[in-house]
Amino acid sequence: MTDHSGVGIKVLGVNHRTAPLDVRERFAHGAHEVPGALARVMAAGAQGGVLLSTCNRTEFYLVTEEEPAFETVWSLLNERLPATPAGGAREYGYVVRDREAVRHLYRVSSGLDSMILGESQIQGQVREAWEIARAQAGPVLHRLFQTALHVGSRVRTETGLGMGTASAASAGVAVAGKIFGDLAGRSALILGAGDMAELAATCLSDEGVQITLVANRTQERARAIAERLGGRAVSLEDAWAHFATTDIALCSTAAPHAVVTWERVGHVIAGRGGRPLCILDLAVPRDVDPAVAQLENVFLYDVDDLQTVAAQATARRRDEVPAAERIVEEEADLFWAWYGGLGVVPAIKEFRTRMETLRAAEMERAMHQLGHLSPEDRARVEQFSQALLNKFLHQPTVALKAAAEEGRGYGLLEALRRLFGMEPPA
Amino acid sequence: MIVTLHLIVLALYGVGTALALAPFLRLPPSPRPLNVALPCAGAAVHVVAISQLTPVGLGPALSMLALCLVLLQLASERLLRGSAVALIAGPLATALVGLALLSGLTPGGGAEAAGSRNAWFILHVALSVSGVALMALAFIAAALYLLQFRELKARRFGQVFQLFPPLERLDQLNRFALIVGFPTLTLGVLLALGYGARFSGGLHVAKAQIVWGMFTWVVLGWAVWVRVVRHWAGRRAAFASIAGFSAVLLVYVALKLAQPGVERFL
Repeated sequence: MTDHSGVGIKVLGVNHRTAPLDVRERFAHGAHEVPGALARVMAAGAQGGVLLSTCNRTEFYLVTEEEPAFETVWSLLNERLPATPAGGAREYGYVVRDREAVRHLYRVSSGLDSMILGESQIQGQVREAWEIARAQAGPVLHRLFQTALHVGSRVRTETGLGMGTASAASAGVAVAGKIFGDLAGRSALILGAGDMAELAATCLSDEGVQITLVANRTQERARAIAERLGGRAVSLEDAWAHFATTDIALCSTAAPHAVVTWERVGHVIAGRGGRPLCILDLAVPRDVDPAVAQLENVFLYDVDDLQTVAAQATARRRDEVPAAERIVEEEADLFWAWYGGLGVVPAIKEFRTRMETLRAAEMERAMHQLGHLSPEDRARVEQFSQALLNKFLHQPTVALKAAAEEGRGYGLLEALRRLFGMEPPA
Repeated sequence: MIVTLHLIVLALYGVGTALALAPFLRLPPSPRPLNVALPCAGAAVHVVAISQLTPVGLGPALSMLALCLVLLQLASERLLRGSAVALIAGPLATALVGLALLSGLTPGGGAEAAGSRNAWFILHVALSVSGVALMALAFIAAALYLLQFRELKARRFGQVFQLFPPLERLDQLNRFALIVGFPTLTLGVLLALGYGARFSGGLHVAKAQIVWGMFTWVVLGWAVWVRVVRHWAGRRAAFASIAGFSAVLLVYVALKLAQPGVERFL
């Protein structure tokens, strides 16, 4: 049986494989919610934390002992469920530990764990999660996320995993193409002005779609995107009337509930006649009330639908998986060597130096009081104190080195630092 | 010779259809050049076979309709950049060639067989068959439209989504087939009237044949009218095309059962 006790790298989370969209969207944390959530986990004893929250996953990367930090994470997630199932959030979740946790993040940042194999958006999301949690990540997670970004870049550069259509945004273009055929000259209305909205709007624009309107709560950002893509910025309230004329509506706001509702657009869309309207809902939580899709010529697709489409288009990327996995393993070994061993060696050195300083100081004080001793006797006492120190330090040094080899060095190191008041590395 | 050539055509169309159907049956798709080459080769042999036929009687009419369908299939697939039309046109053309063989490919005798070499008559038959084939193409496009519509609406992204053309292209194909089909059939009908008046001293055809011909013309005219004048498009236009073509087929079968005969196409 594996012993999971002690401080180590742990991942707790849910993803597209373990939870459906309606559960994932409840667990999704906005950037403003992350510091608070991490603060709660840190208060429960975690020494470092990063929260990666995307439409496909909500994962807490922690350097911690299992309890009570784990309980805090599950409580945090349970609080977001309207009715807690028997097993709580754990029912949808998973825990990955130690080297597997390192490997997991590397696979995530490479796009190997994405719903759309090899998608590149995750790289930016990993970076963003790391940046938001800079104050709370701690040295191990700093290094882990830094190397994860490096692994992601390596995989994309050295393999063909990032080739072709991969993102939900480009899948949206493919779906719209199945409705309209040639997209050149079609009109699109963009709801939201975040990165995803901008990326998807750019994909449409690249296909010749005319971005006519960008609607957002804050006009400033909408104006910037509209100007870049040749459209006009309007408020969300002004956008509903344009559902009567636009061919494509791309929705990606950060609203916590549906903004495109039957009440707002139902009568407008009904006045379109038979002309099809393609609505691409890239937001999590979803922006569009599913009831809108009941209108005859409305084709509504959410993130799950688009990712399914993209996943089909990326079948050929599977050939590149073995090469990408090799890079992940290679880098995970390097990190693990650093985590287990390289961090311990300087700590042992520092520990021994500190003990030696103490011994020397105490010897000097004692020699003042033992001035009558002959030089030979002084040398003998000196030798004795050194032998005693070596005997004392032998077992902790051996234990630390052994723990390092097994990848448990960081936990013991933390204990050592706490016991002997050593400063953590910068 | 005619029968042998038709058997070769049947085999080529049959294999071509099987290859076109393969991806929909989750079998590995065949190379695109082969998917095009087989119906092309079939059509080439078919042209040779038809050139030796006297265009009178049910068998020759079915054979010509099959050839027109395959030619329209090849043309539309070039425009749509896909083999989805073959999904319906392929089996239909193969079945029509099979039925033509079963009906017998020897023309009716007498003065009519001699008259069938007349250019007016040949043109009448060619245009009328092309008009019906275009109506069939409109039906095929409509059926594909409805299938693709259903998949897109239900958010299913399987073989239909992958292999069928976009909705708008199918709608355009339906519109094009109807708009070209109607004048073609009209010209075919007018040529029949002209041929009858000029060479035969009037129309010497069975009443059922006139009824079916006029019914087909009216239905096709109605389908064009709702598209062009009433601006029907999309699903409604697809349903109209399917209803129209089904009505034409049903009336044909009803008349055929009521007045059986092999000398004419009815």
